[in-house]
Amino acid sequence: MNGRDAVELEHVTRTYVRENFEVRALDDVTLRIPEHSFVGIMGPSGSGKTTLLNLITGIDHPTDGHVSVGGEEIAGMSENDLADWRARHIGLVFQFYNLIPVLTAYENVELPLLLTDLPKQERRTHVEAALESVGLSERMKHYPRQLSGGQEQRVAIARAIVTDPTIVVADEPTGDLDAKSAEEILTLLAQLNQRFKKTIVMVTHDARAQRFVDTIFRLDKGVFVGAENSLVGGGAQ
Amino acid sequence: MKFAMLVLKSLLRSKRRTLLTVLSIAVSLFIFSALVSLPTVANHVLADSASSVRIACRTKMGQAYPLPEAYKSKIAATPHVVAIEPDNFFAGIYHEVSDQFPNIAVDPDQINVMWPDWGFSPGSVEEFKKLRTATLVAEGTMKRFHLSVGQQIQLRGGGYYPVNVTLKIVGTIAKGPAPSFLMFRRDYLEEIMGRPGRVDNFWVRADSSQAVPAIIQSVNSEFANSSAETQCDSESAFLGSIIGRFRMFFTLARILGLIVVITIGLVAANAAAMSIRERRTEIAVMRSIGFRSPLILRLLVAESIVTALAGCILGCGAAFALLKVFSVTSDVLGPFVGAIHIPPPALLQTLLAAVLIGLLSSYVPARSAVRRRIVDALRMVD
Repeated sequence: MNGRDAVELEHVTRTYVRENFEVRALDDVTLRIPEHSFVGIMGPSGSGKTTLLNLITGIDHPTDGHVSVGGEEIAGMSENDLADWRARHIGLVFQFYNLIPVLTAYENVELPLLLTDLPKQERRTHVEAALESVGLSERMKHYPRQLSGGQEQRVAIARAIVTDPTIVVADEPTGDLDAKSAEEILTLLAQLNQRFKKTIVMVTHDARAQRFVDTIFRLDKGVFVGAENSLVGGGAQ
Repeated sequence: MKFAMLVLKSLLRSKRRTLLTVLSIAVSLFIFSALVSLPTVANHVLADSASSVRIACRTKMGQAYPLPEAYKSKIAATPHVVAIEPDNFFAGIYHEVSDQFPNIAVDPDQINVMWPDWGFSPGSVEEFKKLRTATLVAEGTMKRFHLSVGQQIQLRGGGYYPVNVTLKIVGTIAKGPAPSFLMFRRDYLEEIMGRPGRVDNFWVRADSSQAVPAIIQSVNSEFANSSAETQCDSESAFLGSIIGRFRMFFTLARILGLIVVITIGLVAANAAAMSIRERRTEIAVMRSIGFRSPLILRLLVAESIVTALAGCILGCGAAFALLKVFSVTSDVLGPFVGAIHIPPPALLQTLLAAVLIGLLSSYVPARSAVRRRIVDALRMVD
């Protein structure tokens, strides 16, 4: 660690109103995620893990408190500014991959690059490198329906890293995969963290994740209950 | 341009739905373009004749009543008159009742002076003057009935002229008053009718368009208080009075065209709404990876406009082809139907209708989709 923080949450509270009842999804959470770290966020269902992730990526706003990512305060940004900011700084990986079904693996990975000014040839270089890094160079022309779950998630990871974002955020990336594929995805994320020094924040229920991450943040009922260093943090090769 | 691939791929997501939407828009725009062409063509016909030096003189009592043949020499003596052509609306039938087309009997002497713009084939006017049973036939009619110059044909008369005429084709007319049309000699008709001296209409040509009002005034005054008073009008006014009878239908055509477009707009809106609803998660994913909402909105609307424009091309193409066939084969619906084509203003209106269908049908569902909270669309609440 070099001591800088990739993510900083200061007294963040997020409340929802559901059927006239106020739900406190996050309650006065303060935490820091160091740059280049691989962090797992764990906790039981309803503990506010995904809400935390949504706040870090700017697709949700805190009711109170400050969220800063890469040194930028994002809580007050407009929707358009947030979209631009996400395009530059955030790589998102979803539980159900969320690839665009009518686009090939190549086109799915190219999607975030369409928002840049890169010429076509340069986009091609980036996409090929991203797919290469997830081991799917041979599947560029395949559509999502022609790929296995594990392969789809790899394409999603390639899409998340193709713009070289400040931080990769993964929401239950192994939640829909079998044990073998889940292991592969965790290994891949750990490699990205180690080789390319990507800061990775991953929400997970998967106990295996503890072997791959540096730190685990635990949440319970919206409250941050503590961080623990993983015993085998960064152990994946 | 780099987003064109996204638009096209999305359009091909459900090929059947896209095809059906394109076809439904094509049918509606086909009807729309044909309907809005009717009044436009009528206005075009009138604009064409606006600067004409021709005058039509008929009886004040209406077209059912004839004028005396003797008026010819009196009208010809009016100052500034350079030619006069009496004509009779023979309305003969070729073979079947459905084979009707405008046919008139005229005096042969001055047809090329009266109608130099009709494009008589070379040498045909001379032949027409020589042969009493000669006929000049529009090219549309020649094609329609597979006729050829030199061929003999028979027309069956009816109404005021219950006689048959046997005619020899001596030439063609390239640009007559209707695509399908025929003229033959009045002296031949007079002879077989027993020389009643009947004239349905006098065409008068002035030496300049400035002289037209004076000639009208002079001729109408000449025959005022006679047993057959005349009503002379410029060619433009004369055609306007004929077209005017169809004005109500033209208005109806415009209203029908609008109703068709609105109806199909609603169908297209339903298709767009379904398509967008199915893609809410995708839209949320695109926003979460950095696509701005206005950009996604533009892409969704562009899809819809491309669909509508594809329908427009198909619909206008079909209407163009059909009206082309119409112009050669149809006379039974009236002399102007054959002249209908899709003029540029109608094409522009149809194009505008297509863009509006595309824009309005997708804007509301697309706007609603891109304004939805990303978290809700992804169902990412834990």
